[in-house]
Amino acid sequence: MTRMSRKWAWASTAVLSASLVVSGCGGSNEGNSEASGSASGASNGKAVELTMAFLNFGNMNDVQTVQDEINKIASAKINATVKLMPIDVSAWTQQTNLLLAGNEKLDLLVTSSFFNYSSQVAKNQLIPLDDLLEQYAPGIKETMSEEIYNGTKIDGKIYGVPSVRDTAADYGMVMRKDLVDKHGIDLSKVKSFEDLEPVFQTIKDNEPGIVPLVQNSNTQTVASQLYNQFIDPLGDSLGALLLDGGDLKVVNLFETQEYKDALAIARKWYQAGYIMQDAATTQETGNSLVKAGKALGYLSNMKPGFEQQESKNDGHEMVAVRLTKAVTQSNGANGFMMSIPRNSENPERAMQFMNLLYTDADIVNLLDNGVEGKHYVKNEDGTIKVPDGAGDTGYLFNQWMVGNNALAYVWEGTDKDIWAQIKTFNDTSVISKALGFAFDANPVKTEVAAATNVLNQYRIGLESGTLDPSTLDEFNGKLKAAGLDKIIAEKQKQLDAWAAANAK
Amino acid sequence: MKTNQMNQTIVHILLILLSAACLFPFLLLFMASFTDEQAIVQHGYSFWPSEFSVDAYSYLWNQASTMARSYGITVLITIIGTVVGLLISALLAYPLSRKDMPIRGLLAFLVFFTLLFNGGLVPTYLVYTELFNMKNTLLALIVPGLLTNGFFVLLIRSFFSTSIPVPIIESAYIDGATEFKIFYRIVLPLSLPILATIGLMLTISYWNDWFNGLIYITEPSLYSIQNLLNRMLSNIQFLQQNSLGGNSSQAAATIPMNSVRMAMAVIGIVPILCIYPFFQKYFVKGLTIGAVKG
Amino acid sequence: MSDAFKKLKRYRALFLMILPGMAYLIVNNYLPMLGVVIAFKDIDYSHRGLFGLIYYSDWIGLKNFEYLFKTNDALVITRNTLLYNGGFILLNTTVAIGLAILLNEVRNRLASRFYQSLILLPYLISMVIVGYLVLSLLNVENGFVNKVVLPMFGVDPISWYSEAKYWPYILTIVNLWKNIGYFCIIYLASIIGIDHEYYEAATIDGASKWQQIRSITIPLIAPTITVMTLLAIGRIFYSDFGLFYQVPLNSGPLQPTTDVIDTYVYRGLMTLGDIGMSSAAGFYQALVGFILVLVSNYIVSRRDRDSALF
Repeated sequence: MTRMSRKWAWASTAVLSASLVVSGCGGSNEGNSEASGSASGASNGKAVELTMAFLNFGNMNDVQTVQDEINKIASAKINATVKLMPIDVSAWTQQTNLLLAGNEKLDLLVTSSFFNYSSQVAKNQLIPLDDLLEQYAPGIKETMSEEIYNGTKIDGKIYGVPSVRDTAADYGMVMRKDLVDKHGIDLSKVKSFEDLEPVFQTIKDNEPGIVPLVQNSNTQTVASQLYNQFIDPLGDSLGALLLDGGDLKVVNLFETQEYKDALAIARKWYQAGYIMQDAATTQETGNSLVKAGKALGYLSNMKPGFEQQESKNDGHEMVAVRLTKAVTQSNGANGFMMSIPRNSENPERAMQFMNLLYTDADIVNLLDNGVEGKHYVKNEDGTIKVPDGAGDTGYLFNQWMVGNNALAYVWEGTDKDIWAQIKTFNDTSVISKALGFAFDANPVKTEVAAATNVLNQYRIGLESGTLDPSTLDEFNGKLKAAGLDKIIAEKQKQLDAWAAANAK
Repeated sequence: MKTNQMNQTIVHILLILLSAACLFPFLLLFMASFTDEQAIVQHGYSFWPSEFSVDAYSYLWNQASTMARSYGITVLITIIGTVVGLLISALLAYPLSRKDMPIRGLLAFLVFFTLLFNGGLVPTYLVYTELFNMKNTLLALIVPGLLTNGFFVLLIRSFFSTSIPVPIIESAYIDGATEFKIFYRIVLPLSLPILATIGLMLTISYWNDWFNGLIYITEPSLYSIQNLLNRMLSNIQFLQQNSLGGNSSQAAATIPMNSVRMAMAVIGIVPILCIYPFFQKYFVKGLTIGAVKG
Repeated sequence: MSDAFKKLKRYRALFLMILPGMAYLIVNNYLPMLGVVIAFKDIDYSHRGLFGLIYYSDWIGLKNFEYLFKTNDALVITRNTLLYNGGFILLNTTVAIGLAILLNEVRNRLASRFYQSLILLPYLISMVIVGYLVLSLLNVENGFVNKVVLPMFGVDPISWYSEAKYWPYILTIVNLWKNIGYFCIIYLASIIGIDHEYYEAATIDGASKWQQIRSITIPLIAPTITVMTLLAIGRIFYSDFGLFYQVPLNSGPLQPTTDVIDTYVYRGLMTLGDIGMSSAAGFYQALVGFILVLVSNYIVSRRDRDSALF
């Protein structure tokens, strides 16, 4: 690199980091990834190392190998290397709190409305990305719908870029196919949740030892799967929005008719013996109960290809009935994003790497699936599978979290055009009017802490049918005593301000 | 004599029952690790597995390299931490035990005060990561546990001041021995019981420590065995109890089975059980004098 | 040469010995204590680093403490913390002393060692593993108690993890099980230290075993009991986080009886990510503990100067 260009790079970096506002100097603005990648690479005089923190659930022992491969590409394209920092989900809140409080090196961070996104913004922990996106990653916009792309804004500015994933969900029931076939159950006749009752009855009568319905986790309660199609929980469910309501009015979810109806059904099923009797307290996931032959299936939020995914998880072939339309809730976009924290010393290079996560298929494949030949092998039809004889491959990444997953190879057993299906699914879903709203709990943190405690105490019991719905009044009473009304008022205030800022 | 015999029998019976109660959950854990996964979900935990299986252990064997590295890290931090911690504690305790030491009261109070007051997690974290840059280093697993607070120092001090005769020290000093020589040649050899006791306590706390790993370590290659265990259990719990939108079931698929968790726990316990008998000889003796007065 | 300087020279080696330990305590314990001011500030993260956080953030008085006192939970968690810890102090002490006396009665030394080993076993393992153990016993659908023990008595399975009323007993038992070995051995050590002549004299006088225990053993180990109890009182507002978090598996319905200050604060930190709040709680716990120790130490020292901590 010539002396001249290095100087130029230094200057532009200085200007950028000083103001973060730069007119169109340097990189070209073509949507084409190749072009923008190499163009910005030309101005990257000094090699930098970026640190990227993301959620980890499983085995990431081979992260170093994957990182080395990614860095070969990243060095060539943007003259940067990346250090991957997987953080266990259980340690996530604590770790990110500590990381952001300190001066530690951190350039890219997975953020989420499930993990205090709005309070991170309120506390100045993340930087606004609009100018950087314009400058270094114009291609990202094209990888997702406009609503989703803009669905992370706070005060009109983007602080995170959503991953390309199933941002909508529909709801229904997944069941063991062998049992459905054995009893000649015609699933085409099941059009609503009530239609499941004869199915449950058949299993209950004829398959001793098998419970018709279990819950997949303590949060995917029976009732929640019934009312989710009507309700946007606005994050923590403390103050929610009715999806078909015309206005942006925050209501108490636990006093809505939809909620009461869902509880009544759950209770009816529980008393009829359709729901596992210790559903509220079990320490087993629905997956492992089905796997162990103790359950027919569970209600779940779904997406295209869900049956195939669950068949893998449950050890039985599964079939699904979809009983609701697809909905995109307020966290459709900000559920999982990539942000640049204030810790970053090289925000512009971080943005260039982010650009690669959305536009460079090789990097996405490495990150999502690992190294070819070691963690996966390609089939003739272009899908991939675990190499023969490899039990646990030492690299399991959760694809929905980061980047443009649509660029990754599809695993064997999943439709090849799954991403086209998901795109249609997302695009045709009912979108919550509050899409993109993220509640900042800080102004009412005392109340939220208290109300969350009440939720923990009652919710799962009620929503799994274990507790009689008559307990609902007591539940609401305690929520009010904990300050629910104050939370709802604050949420309404923030929602109104948000709507005004985003011209809704 | 007859009643005394009777008493002994009652004493033994009582103690056998109590010991059994202490041992019993361990047996259950041990058997569960050898039980077939389906059998656990179907029939529950029991003392005699309805179906024996070593699947859990072969699953862990497949990850032998990860396990071996974690073991290595645990062993390393335990050894270094115990030795250094013991040395620093004894060095600090000895002058405090000397009645002729100037400003002894003030120094002892400074040690004692750490028992009652601490700055909290975040400030401690910032001191270690920012002033000393210890994030993701082995030092972060060792240093925060060295003294933790002054309790051990005070125990050792009591032992020194009650069981080491002052005349020996004085005559050695008059004979021209340096303070370090006295400490090394006279005080330490006379204090083996308390050193062994504190040594065992430090060993246990290093071996069982998962908290420092949780806070200071994000690099999987630096996980200790307890961190592996803890993350497994707490990740499962997290996924059960928290909503991540539609995505949790995908994550749930990576959760290891019941029997594997039990096998991991067994692997975590066994070494500490193996070294314990070697320390036990001194254990009671060390506490005898040490604990009389904190 | 001045006196002070002479002294310093005479004791320089001893000061040298103290140096590493004191330096360590300053870094590990005293430096972070500066951080208590976080409890009184509204943390602004645009200035990072320990000193940046502390220096630039605004004072907000006692606002961070509000959530500890304002809600209905405050009463519950304070009550639980105090009752549990009070109960633990009482129970651990009495049971441990009883057990120590029993062990001291065993004449076969090998057997005594053997019992000690087994009783100390639970103390050696981490709370993470204790959580596993309790789950394998109490798991609703496949736990040992519901599958084996209750059917033997013809009792229906119990949903342990959703019935709050059982947990005060469960947690007390688990705590006793885990820590009894440690306390027992501390008291056993004290008892062994008692001069045998006392007992011999008492036996000659015809004192029964019970009388000997009451008028020799207990009074002579009283200093140890005082010290252990004072230390425990100092930490009465803290609870064993592992016990209250790992063992009930953070189960919601159990909260009325299992939630203590530490777990409440931790959950607050997880949902809100607010270090101001957790610093406030930490400060509150430390302060109350400190005052309690000063007060009880004062009372003890009025009665018996030698038993007091300082």
